[in-house]
Amino acid sequence: MTEPSFVQPPRLAVWLVNLFTPYEQAESIPGDLLEEFSDLSLKSGATLAHRWYWRQTVKTIAYLIGSGFRFAPWRITGAVLMGRLLLLYGLMLPERLIVAVLRVYPISPDYDHKNVVALWMFWVPLAIQVGWVIVAMFIGSLVAMVAKGREMVATMTLGLTFLAPRLVGMVILWAPPFFRADVFFVFIVAFVVGGGIVRKLRLAVLTRRSAMIEEQQ
Amino acid sequence: MASRDFLGEFEHIVVLALLRLADQAYGVTVRREIEVRTDRDVSIGAIYATLDRLEAKGYVKSHLGDPTPERGGRSKRFFRVTGKGMTAVNRAQRALLSMTEGLDLVRSYSQ
Repeated sequence: MTEPSFVQPPRLAVWLVNLFTPYEQAESIPGDLLEEFSDLSLKSGATLAHRWYWRQTVKTIAYLIGSGFRFAPWRITGAVLMGRLLLLYGLMLPERLIVAVLRVYPISPDYDHKNVVALWMFWVPLAIQVGWVIVAMFIGSLVAMVAKGREMVATMTLGLTFLAPRLVGMVILWAPPFFRADVFFVFIVAFVVGGGIVRKLRLAVLTRRSAMIEEQQ
Repeated sequence: MASRDFLGEFEHIVVLALLRLADQAYGVTVRREIEVRTDRDVSIGAIYATLDRLEAKGYVKSHLGDPTPERGGRSKRFFRVTGKGMTAVNRAQRALLSMTEGLDLVRSYSQ
């Protein structure tokens, strides 16, 4: 079915609502918001309607996160614990892999000294950090698979459990040099992106399946 | 009596809104009804979180309507109060009436 040609709600807000809405409400919540948004944009104009949609989005997501915990506390806790365990070993993988590769293919003694320094000072740490991001995305997607239907809540919680001990440590020890906020932010984003990919794939499968059932009927 | 059998304040309001709206009760109408009657700015998320809790308790039941173009082809989810829900709302009403009986709330409030 095609969308009617009236003012459209903010795309980012629609995307965020779809990301956090459980499958069983994937029709009702975005549909209700669109219906009220359309009425409001006709009565009060697009600007006010956009503002209203954003306000509803923020409040709705907050409630959806809360209800996610209430309705599936064990599923989310289990998924987050599994993610934490995987992180313990997963984050060592990139470094081990790079060291193993360098053992198999050692640097030739004839290699330019400057290039060797650049390799160890820049390229190896960069490769390890990229590896961490890939591992974090992979773990985020595994957590999302376990937290079926509450992917974003689970991956965000994993991110918070990852960040919280560092924040507490920073406050207690007052040791900002040990806390790289940018690195940890990248980790959290990677978890959530991994979860988001799983959610989108799962939604696409569900939509295709329900379309096929409708066709058969 | 188990504490879970009682309705919370917002649950009570939502069930009453469902009863008022009868077969026209879905997210948008419930939200508007509460907003108009209680002068309270309620989000659609709060409505669904409460309705899901009520459904889990067996106080309400829901079914999907037909998809409509003004909703971008999405269906409405209609809600109705079950017998168990009616018992719960009656109990909550009786408790409220019993607690307020003999109180001059207008005078107490203005003091």
